[in-house]
Amino acid sequence: METFVSYIPYILMGLPMTFLLLGGGLALGFGIGLPLAMGHVYGAVPIKRIIDFYVWFFRGTPLIVLLFLFYWGVFPALGIPLDAVTTSIIVIGLRSGAYQSQIFRGAFHSVPEGQYVAARAIGMGKYQAIFSIIVPQVLRIAIPPWSNEYAGVLKDTAICFSLGVLEALRRTSYVAIAINEALLPYIFVGFLYLVLTYAGTGVLNRIYERVKIPGLVGRL
Amino acid sequence: MVEDKTVLKVEDIYKSYGTQEVLKGVTFEIHKGETKVISGPSGAGKSTLLRCINLLTRPDKGRVWLEGVELTDPNVDINKQRAKIGFVFQQFNLFNHLTALQNVMIGLLKVKKMPKEKALEKAKEALLKVHITEDLWHKYPAQLSGGQQQRVGIARALAMEPVIILYDEPTSALDPQLIGEVLQVMKELSSQKVTSLVVTHEIGFAISVADELMFMYDGKIIEKGPPKEVVFRPKTDAAREFFRRIAELYGEQ
Amino acid sequence: MGLEGFYAQLPQAILTTLSILVLAIPISIAWGIFLGSARVYGGKILSTIATGFVVLFRGFPLIVTLLFIFYGLPEIGIYLTPFWSAVLGFVLCSGAYQSEYVRGAIRSIDMGQIEAARSLGMTKFQELIHIVLPQALRRALPGVSNEVIYLNKYSSLAYAIGVIEIFQVSKKWSSWTFEAIPIFLTAAAIYLTINTVTTFGFRALEHKLRIPGLEIEKTR
Repeated sequence: METFVSYIPYILMGLPMTFLLLGGGLALGFGIGLPLAMGHVYGAVPIKRIIDFYVWFFRGTPLIVLLFLFYWGVFPALGIPLDAVTTSIIVIGLRSGAYQSQIFRGAFHSVPEGQYVAARAIGMGKYQAIFSIIVPQVLRIAIPPWSNEYAGVLKDTAICFSLGVLEALRRTSYVAIAINEALLPYIFVGFLYLVLTYAGTGVLNRIYERVKIPGLVGRL
Repeated sequence: MVEDKTVLKVEDIYKSYGTQEVLKGVTFEIHKGETKVISGPSGAGKSTLLRCINLLTRPDKGRVWLEGVELTDPNVDINKQRAKIGFVFQQFNLFNHLTALQNVMIGLLKVKKMPKEKALEKAKEALLKVHITEDLWHKYPAQLSGGQQQRVGIARALAMEPVIILYDEPTSALDPQLIGEVLQVMKELSSQKVTSLVVTHEIGFAISVADELMFMYDGKIIEKGPPKEVVFRPKTDAAREFFRRIAELYGEQ
Repeated sequence: MGLEGFYAQLPQAILTTLSILVLAIPISIAWGIFLGSARVYGGKILSTIATGFVVLFRGFPLIVTLLFIFYGLPEIGIYLTPFWSAVLGFVLCSGAYQSEYVRGAIRSIDMGQIEAARSLGMTKFQELIHIVLPQALRRALPGVSNEVIYLNKYSSLAYAIGVIEIFQVSKKWSSWTFEAIPIFLTAAAIYLTINTVTTFGFRALEHKLRIPGLEIEKTR
């Protein structure tokens, strides 16, 4: 027990990396997901099909397969040998983008029909109406399911241990080998993720409570 | 002479929700074969009273006896006693995932533990009694009209062979043209001496078959008597006002 | 060239993956139904324990749960093979997520149904089994099928505890043959197929269980 406790700082030093993967992945996912959602809601049929394929592929393939596919296959083949951390962020982002596009799509469909029409009626152009009236509502409505995405991506970062990224889980596995004990280390890191998950979703919930649109319930 | 048996005795029922006192001491009795009607303005506590009788809601104070067994006694097997009370809901509350026939059978199978053939027979009997014909037996509630659903609800209660049936505003959720078919069934049952306690605004029903009409106002029964007496010669202002309004609404009875 | 080795080992690996899923999916659904029901209908003790399981295994990343079961439990005398460690891990994790859908569905059942059940004299247990669950499970089905899709993909993590399943074989042969792209794309295709089949299966099930006249609420 005492030996393990002395290794705790080592595990915790993986948190910055975890957060880097988490933040980068979520941000990239947002940057992909929102445009994809809008493309699907407002775009022509061919665009919808392409988006559907993208979503189907990145939601249907296990993350670990995607990580290895890109790290050992795609990036080397493209002649850009990216390191494990960058690859991880990109792959997590691509995948989260697929999920987030679905979240935002659902949110777009939750905005009452009349909003867009009313915006045009007061003279707003198509894009002005979308960005100043619809999107602000979409972002608020999307918060509850998005907090699930946060939890999901947090757990995805742990999978990046397989590429050798020195985030919290990889470090834990080293500790387990070093002290020849697995129970405590893994329980510890498990609770670490648990706390981060509930703290994060708690924060998002609080944000949601403050910004939500009274009377309009977010779709879950 | 047939022995006069008290089926239901309700004594001094009080019920509050938070600071709101809904029932302020209700007492009455129902004897075998009688049909009694409770009427009154909304919020008077009528639905709450019915739910206190079969303990769907527990009264804060007061006692209820069913054929001599005290339902409000914490040691009583309430499920066993509930099986002896039929309850017909304003919103019908038919089990959505079961056909009409299955709705009527399920209580017989699971609560009374009847063998399947006997349950089937009794269920069909009950359905025919409420004029639900065979072509509707295998339909789901969502496929039936409101009037049909409510009659199935009555059959469901009837099949259990209860000692009393409680009706909670059975026609209030129905389209006007469907009210008649349900009232007709209820009248038939009353004339067959099925002991009934009905909460309703349908004064015509009360006048034609009820043995007594109880007027409930602000959590208490403030008038009771033969229906014609209470409706046409009310003694209290509240009752007078209420029945005058009803008469305006429905025209001459 | 070197791909023959990959294709030779693949069928057995697919079989292993499917064996894990064939066990984990029904058991996790049953466990999810139990946990969800226990949280609503269980007494104080049972519902608290059930909530504990849900919070714990939703907070722990699946990979951590797997590592904890396979490497950690032996320290307290519980030895499970890689295969059974995987099945247990998947049941605990997926079951926890599924129980949320079950619980939500149970709580969404109209009070009137419950009052009617009680008025007939049904016990709480009878009410749950004969009236509430038959309706709640139909409502929970979309969410549950979603979780099963996750399970299909996360079965790939079993490689980390030594199970020779699809990803493990892909990883091994891609480093031997350096043919990462065809190998991982093949793996992706297999998982995508499994997912597509599962989706159709659940859609057919939803259709079969549809109650005539009653619209099932969509959860996502």
